[in-house]
Amino acid sequence: MIPAMRSSRGTKPDQGSTGDFRSLITTPDAGQKASLSLSDGSRIAVIGGGPAGSFFGYFTLMMAQMLGRDLDVTIFEPKDFLTPGPGSCNRCGGVISELMVQTLAVEGINIPSSVIQRGLSSYELYTELGDVSIETPTKEKTIASVYRGGGPQDLVISDKDSFDAFLLRRAVEKGARHCARYVDRIAFEEGKPVLFSGEERLMQADLVVGAFGVNTWKVPQFEGLPFRYHRPRMTRTAIAEIALDPDYITERYGNSVQLFLLPVKNVLFAAIIPKRSYVTLCILGKAINRSTVDVFLAHPKVRALFPEGRLDRLACMCLPMMNVGAPRRPYADRIVFIGDSGSTRLYKDGIGGAYFMAKSAVKTVIMNGVSRKDFAGNFMPDYRSIRVDNRFGRFLFWVTSMFRKFGFLNAAMLEVVDKEQADPSDGRKILSAILWDMFTGNERYRSIFFRAIAPELVIKMTWSAVRHFFGGSHDR
Amino acid sequence: MTTDELGRDYEDGEVVFREGEEGNVMFVIQRGRVRVSRTTGEGEVTIATLGPGDVFGEMALFEREPRSATVTAMENSRILSIDKTRFFQNISRDPSMAFNLLRTLSERLRRIDKEFTRLKKRRLEILRSGMDLKETCRVILEEASDAVQAENGSVMVVNPDDGSLDIVAAYGTDTPEKARLTLGEGIAGNVLATGSAELINNVTVDPRFKPGTLSITSIICVPLSSETENFGVINLSHTSNDRLFSKVDLQFVKSLSVYASVAVRNAISLLRLKRATEFLDLGITSFPGAGEGDGV
Repeated sequence: MIPAMRSSRGTKPDQGSTGDFRSLITTPDAGQKASLSLSDGSRIAVIGGGPAGSFFGYFTLMMAQMLGRDLDVTIFEPKDFLTPGPGSCNRCGGVISELMVQTLAVEGINIPSSVIQRGLSSYELYTELGDVSIETPTKEKTIASVYRGGGPQDLVISDKDSFDAFLLRRAVEKGARHCARYVDRIAFEEGKPVLFSGEERLMQADLVVGAFGVNTWKVPQFEGLPFRYHRPRMTRTAIAEIALDPDYITERYGNSVQLFLLPVKNVLFAAIIPKRSYVTLCILGKAINRSTVDVFLAHPKVRALFPEGRLDRLACMCLPMMNVGAPRRPYADRIVFIGDSGSTRLYKDGIGGAYFMAKSAVKTVIMNGVSRKDFAGNFMPDYRSIRVDNRFGRFLFWVTSMFRKFGFLNAAMLEVVDKEQADPSDGRKILSAILWDMFTGNERYRSIFFRAIAPELVIKMTWSAVRHFFGGSHDR
Repeated sequence: MTTDELGRDYEDGEVVFREGEEGNVMFVIQRGRVRVSRTTGEGEVTIATLGPGDVFGEMALFEREPRSATVTAMENSRILSIDKTRFFQNISRDPSMAFNLLRTLSERLRRIDKEFTRLKKRRLEILRSGMDLKETCRVILEEASDAVQAENGSVMVVNPDDGSLDIVAAYGTDTPEKARLTLGEGIAGNVLATGSAELINNVTVDPRFKPGTLSITSIICVPLSSETENFGVINLSHTSNDRLFSKVDLQFVKSLSVYASVAVRNAISLLRLKRATEFLDLGITSFPGAGEGDGV
């Protein structure tokens, strides 16, 4: 577990015990301190043009325009997100959650059908003892499966756009400049960060926003940064694309994300996300490697989702790192880290995490300023809330893994969900709703946790679990 | 079936929600177009048409009032719904999420402001120009009686409020200013109902005749009509025994009635328009600050 963030309150520069940076920091003079806020003509450099960077650029310019302020935003991103293969892809499963779809729609960002691989409306949950289907409450398609890059390596022709390219374009339409350069070094000159690509000086900025991922960007070298940037703690995942006939996908998968809580060695949690002419397999767990994928695909429940006979070859596969921890302090004067380079939501809804942290940073820099103090007072509470929430998430995932391990718990869960789903009334379907929110990323883990310990559900589950524990072969 | 779209499918003509219904959901159009309409005394009026990216039904989020308008898909459309509770949870976490919606609302208000100013200006123009119904009828009557030398005459028009036939213009001694007939009543009422012009030279024996204060001897009654309805009559009469109308007189009044119908119809439309704008004026003066004509 990560230690609690007491040091964030230490706004007096010479106090506190985080002494590792004192030798690096140059005490800013009074004149500099006064200018630690953005004004007309201020220059912002965003490193990384994934969702976090694009959201930051988009919303910064939106708010600045509303306030009649003229800011200059440059997004540094060497990838185009349009070439097939992992090189231009921000490797991830590519699910935009219900909450995110609706939030973006309210914000005026509607994901066009050219970006959507498939509109989804339900989750199919597979466990050792049985399967359940969980539908969207509104029965409409509210989840989008997308590609974060140009699609799988062997994709020849596609009229589809990638989600990341779409967002980056939206930021550019709002007035951001996209610079296809790689930033590898940041130095401080007269209290302001200067970006370099090799020996070439790219720009001096009033604010640098670190919005790079944990996989594709080599972390730039920060010189003179008043803290040491630690990469977040990470875990390895496997993502594989499997080519299938589009009609077969429509028929076999429908509008459902397939979720697996199966006792396969090292696999905590897996999902198959239907795209247009591929399905994306995502595996989370311990010591994931290529053979984990093979073992998982050989499981009868998984095998049944593919055409008989030969299993289509993997069209694309990567073993990206996933952010599961967070650097202790993701900011300094004129620097802030958002997205995966900062903190994100545990295991899922990375786009939602990117949006949340980007907006928090935008509000801070527009409404307050770009000083360490501003970030500590405004950005840090949001950052910390994600970290606290992830602790609830860890607990919930641990509980879920127990369901996977113990048959009687698994049976109890299936029974309760089955009963809820069979109930035609609009009555309270607590467990279904909890599972829905947990898998879709609709709710914070914290509120899911408190709903999960609601007496009504606990009684139902306990009763069912006790029966299955003693009854053993009790029919479902 | 499309697989790459979000939200729900609405067919051309399908109603998303109706005026007066309760609503807890806001909508965002993903594809297609919808018509926003309201029912008025004059029928259904289209307030706006909306397209991709547009938001509607948002008023139900902020007030506990029933839907103020009906929204119908104008073509095959795809619409995403957003639940009220979810929306407010998100806004309370991040109030800046409402900025875009506020901007949309303010844009709409600005457009309505502009439209309102335009209507107000148009109304003034209408008030200043064109003849009113009474004046139109008076001119028609003058022309007709000049040609056929009638002793008495009147133009009656159907009152849109209660359907009765009211005298709008009259001269001579026969016709009291306030005479009213219901549809089918009297000769005029009967002509209005049948739509065919009549010349009667033995009025008193006609079973439809309603005796007045004077003894009528001869009468011409011609309907005022459009393609779809009869909305008035021209009456011309003699009281002296030695004077009777001829078929030529009838033919002349019938020809005149074609032009008279158009003129009266226009005057009625104008009257309705004036009334509608008066209503608009009334609605707006109860709105504080709107009288100053300031932008919102």
